[in-house]
Amino acid sequence: MRTDRVPGLGVVKGLVFAFTQAFRPKVTIQYPEHDDQIPPRNRGRLILLYDEFGTLKCETCFQCAAACPIECIDMGGVDTKNRFHVHWGPAEQYAERREESALRRSGRPVPDRTFSAFETIDLAPLDAILVEQEYRPRHALRILEQTQAAYGHLPVAALQHIAHQTGAWYSELYGIATSYPHLRFEAPTTHTVAICRCVACTLSGGGRVLAAFEEHLGTSVGGVSPDGAVRLQTTDCRGESAGTPRVVVDGNPLPRASAADAATIAAALRATVAQGRPA
Amino acid sequence: MTTEHTRIRSLDDPHIFVDTPATIYDAVPPYPPTTEREAEFYSLQDGEMLINLGPQHPSTHGVLRVVLKIDGERVVDLDPVLGYLHRGVEKICENGDWHHAISNCDPLEYIASMFSEAIPVLVAEKLLDLEVPRRADYIRVLAWELNRISSHALFIGWLALDLGGLTPILYGFIERDEIVEMLAALTGQKLLFNYLRIGGVNGDLNHEFLSRLGDWMGRAGQRIEMQQKLINENEIFVRRTRNLGTVDRETALRMCLTGPPLRATGIPYDVRRAHPYSVYPELDFEIPTRTEGDSWARYMLHIDEIKQSLHIIDQVLHQIPDGPIMAKLPRLLRVPPGRAWIAFESPRGQYGAYGISDGSDQPFRLRIHDPSYFNLQTVGLVTPGHLIADTMAIMSSLDPIMGGIDK
Amino acid sequence: MHAEGRGVTVITRPWQRLTLLGKILVPLLIVFVAVNIALIGLWASGLLPWLIQATLDVLGANVGIIRFLAAATVILLITVPIAFLIIFFEMKIIAFVNLRVGPNRIGPWGTLSSVVHGLKVLAKEDFTPTGADVPVFTLAPVVVYLAAVMTLLVVPFAPGLYGFDMEIGLLYFFAVGGLGVIGLMMAGWSSFNKYSLLGGLRAAAGIISYELPLILAVVGIVLLTGSLNLTTIVESQSGSVLDWYIVRQPLGALIFFIAATAEGGRTPFDLTEADSEIVAGFATEYSGMRFGFFFFAEYVNVFILSAMTTVLFLGGWNAPFDIDPVLEFFNIATPVQAVLDPGALDMGLLWVIALGAPIVIGILGLMVWMLKSDWSIVRSLIVGFLLFNLLLSGLFIGWLAINLDWVIGLFWFLAKAIGLCAFFVLMRGTLPRVRIDQLMGFAWKWLVPAALLNIFVTAGAIIVIKSLEGSL
Repeated sequence: MRTDRVPGLGVVKGLVFAFTQAFRPKVTIQYPEHDDQIPPRNRGRLILLYDEFGTLKCETCFQCAAACPIECIDMGGVDTKNRFHVHWGPAEQYAERREESALRRSGRPVPDRTFSAFETIDLAPLDAILVEQEYRPRHALRILEQTQAAYGHLPVAALQHIAHQTGAWYSELYGIATSYPHLRFEAPTTHTVAICRCVACTLSGGGRVLAAFEEHLGTSVGGVSPDGAVRLQTTDCRGESAGTPRVVVDGNPLPRASAADAATIAAALRATVAQGRPA
Repeated sequence: MTTEHTRIRSLDDPHIFVDTPATIYDAVPPYPPTTEREAEFYSLQDGEMLINLGPQHPSTHGVLRVVLKIDGERVVDLDPVLGYLHRGVEKICENGDWHHAISNCDPLEYIASMFSEAIPVLVAEKLLDLEVPRRADYIRVLAWELNRISSHALFIGWLALDLGGLTPILYGFIERDEIVEMLAALTGQKLLFNYLRIGGVNGDLNHEFLSRLGDWMGRAGQRIEMQQKLINENEIFVRRTRNLGTVDRETALRMCLTGPPLRATGIPYDVRRAHPYSVYPELDFEIPTRTEGDSWARYMLHIDEIKQSLHIIDQVLHQIPDGPIMAKLPRLLRVPPGRAWIAFESPRGQYGAYGISDGSDQPFRLRIHDPSYFNLQTVGLVTPGHLIADTMAIMSSLDPIMGGIDK
Repeated sequence: MHAEGRGVTVITRPWQRLTLLGKILVPLLIVFVAVNIALIGLWASGLLPWLIQATLDVLGANVGIIRFLAAATVILLITVPIAFLIIFFEMKIIAFVNLRVGPNRIGPWGTLSSVVHGLKVLAKEDFTPTGADVPVFTLAPVVVYLAAVMTLLVVPFAPGLYGFDMEIGLLYFFAVGGLGVIGLMMAGWSSFNKYSLLGGLRAAAGIISYELPLILAVVGIVLLTGSLNLTTIVESQSGSVLDWYIVRQPLGALIFFIAATAEGGRTPFDLTEADSEIVAGFATEYSGMRFGFFFFAEYVNVFILSAMTTVLFLGGWNAPFDIDPVLEFFNIATPVQAVLDPGALDMGLLWVIALGAPIVIGILGLMVWMLKSDWSIVRSLIVGFLLFNLLLSGLFIGWLAINLDWVIGLFWFLAKAIGLCAFFVLMRGTLPRVRIDQLMGFAWKWLVPAALLNIFVTAGAIIVIKSLEGSL
């Protein structure tokens, strides 16, 4: 029967067909019981390759380490005594952990200079805390609270040190710290100064205002002044600048801003903060 | 970048375009309309509603945001918002080698990525005026046609899935699985193959690939026929796709439509025949066309194209010569200065690329002309007048891939 | 609070430091001890017999209400396992149609996977979106679920197994079942979300359009039976397969089945929750147990519609073939308990249980151990024990089936209903969905006239046949 003559027949044929398909063999591969599907040319395995004569293809030309954007490729050196047919074994056994990537140790130009490792801190108070808590990873919350009491915030170096000493993962500690609102990663600042850096604001004098703020606050955009009192960040004027650059101090936009004002404002803000690090 | 501009505002805020009624959670942009089209789109008549088929949606073929203006269930106007998958591929290509551009361009058409790899490869070969060994050319055609079949198999399933049928996409994935496994035996990867090289291909055909290909070819045509039984005659499917999103010839030519949507309107334009490249002049295949121009015609055309691709693969396997698979090239490839435009036929339409080289080993500019970008424009033209449910059917039948649209 | 002295501190911890298990076990322990003390006190003071007698008197006086309460509780409780079963069907049958395997790791052949889905739904966060109409938002799933479950009250599962025997059972079923639309619209409106609004409106349009063919299709049956009582309808289909209404009212059955698919919001008519267009429709803003209610309500609806189709068209609890000739061939007379009276064995019964059970388990375990050479004797004995349980249960059910008529009826009813549920699931896996205008067009332009035609033809046939009989 033609399906376009009898209404509904196509639907019934489809249902019958689907019903018969239910009894055919299934195409699912039951992993992990059957996992013999990896072809020999698969590029997903982290191994060093050999050519058809058994020679190792890798010449340690360092291009991969130089190209890697997250600097996770490292080169280790072993004297092969001119024997190139060396079997290196499984990849898990290759690595030694190093603090700095091979790229930086090699002295070659690193493309991303602005990434600097976290600043170092005095670890003595942290060691005392860890000794008191007996290096137990289960006391992570207590350790973090006491670290914050000692340093004012949780520096990255401190979290690294705790991770190395207690065996807890850095990500675990980070996760714990983000779950509690009283734990913070940056020194608390009292004031924020935000300036817009769009073309219109810069043309109307914003560049000079920004430079003045940077000089008087002692930090670049996105950073905190050395005494931890003022943070300098960017904002967005959304095209509303009416001849003056948009400068927002503690949430209040300034009606007029010039480089001279910047100096006075910076001094005023820093003076309102008590000496020393705020708790 | 602050979050001030996404803050929920009150109705008194002068930045709300005041002609729009209703709540503060509308799909209106928080700035006054800057173009005529925006003004027309965001001014609502009585009873109209703006609804946002957001970037996270099961049927938008990737991260595509579509703002619909609906009157009840009927779509009055449609505004696709692109850019959610923009990765800056063209700019990244300028920072690396011509060889790096192959792996950078791979994710453009991630479903059939041999075609997107062909962009830097064909451009560089044209600038270098390089003759690719014939065996490499035949292997390329083989890989391209296999990718075409796998992409079309997925398209069929996807269209049915957007209409509500859960089964055809899994049948499509069975085909795709087998093809992808054989390509993994050939190239080492399953999705982003990184197989084409400037001057040839990466590895020769090996035994596993050929045995899998032979197994599959024996069953493919008949299996695809059988799996069509579920959809082709199903009245519900037919009534959902017939006369839907009809594009006529003039509109198709005006909107730069290419590929199966164009051939479904009756214009037999296929880059493999119009501007032949590689070894296509030596292969014998037809260009299937249909005349209706609606979603049903586009769907049936994909099935016809699968059959033609199977025919091409058959010929390639019979005609493939021996020889090297890679031309002799220096290690550090400096492409002579010049400009080149290439075009080839991908499952979605005509892929084009315009490359400018300044004599160094990095491309100066690689402009990628993706067919889905132009095919998607017709959605805004043909959907008004249909229902919301039809938006999905029309969009799926045009087969867009957001990777290529957003680059 | 340190780890030392852990054993003692477990018992003396304050409430906040208890684990979840502790929070369950400690109250249970307290309740258990209190009940025991109360019972001992009652028994010692001699009040216990009086209390028991008074309770029995009260219960005996209100048997009807007790029966009704028990039926309502049972119905509420069985909806959850039924939903689990249908969810499992959905996952497995659609997987088989897709040439996949479906869940097969959790439980044997994946049977516990739907239980795990239910627990997952319980464990999710249950939030209310900003701007939602909170009382309506909270009550919508309750309305949908109750409307679905209350209809089960009149469905006769077996002769004598029903919640409440109403004379207007059919009318009650359609009236209460139609209340679900209110819940869907409440959900769609109160979610403060345009997708939900669209979903709710589609639900209103679609489901209300199909109420009419649903009810009109059944009028033919009412004409043939002469009663709205569901038990009467099932009884009037007793006899042979040819007495079932699907044979006598094929058009009505088809219309009812299509309308039931649309009522339950199943593919091909599932646009109220079309998840490739308006991502879960009216239920977009729901999560956690509220979504679980919608989820369960949909699957319970599937079962209820299958049950109704079975009752109305497939003969309810009537068997398709008659087992009496088979029984007579083997000279098995009913009731069998006269022959198999365990009480006649007296003390021998104790010996049978004490010795017979271990012997049979041992024999079965030994057989298993000989068949499966790599299993230890302990494992084979355990499997033997399970087989023994299976054997006894089978014998018991067989004895029940032969003795009590409602067991066989329940079995046939469930077989038909669950078979229909599987068919619903098969339809979901294969068919694409229709558009809203096609949905409503189909209901109003095709199903309603067809149902009216069915009524006229049935009425005409009844008149013709009655007049022929009258004149004979």
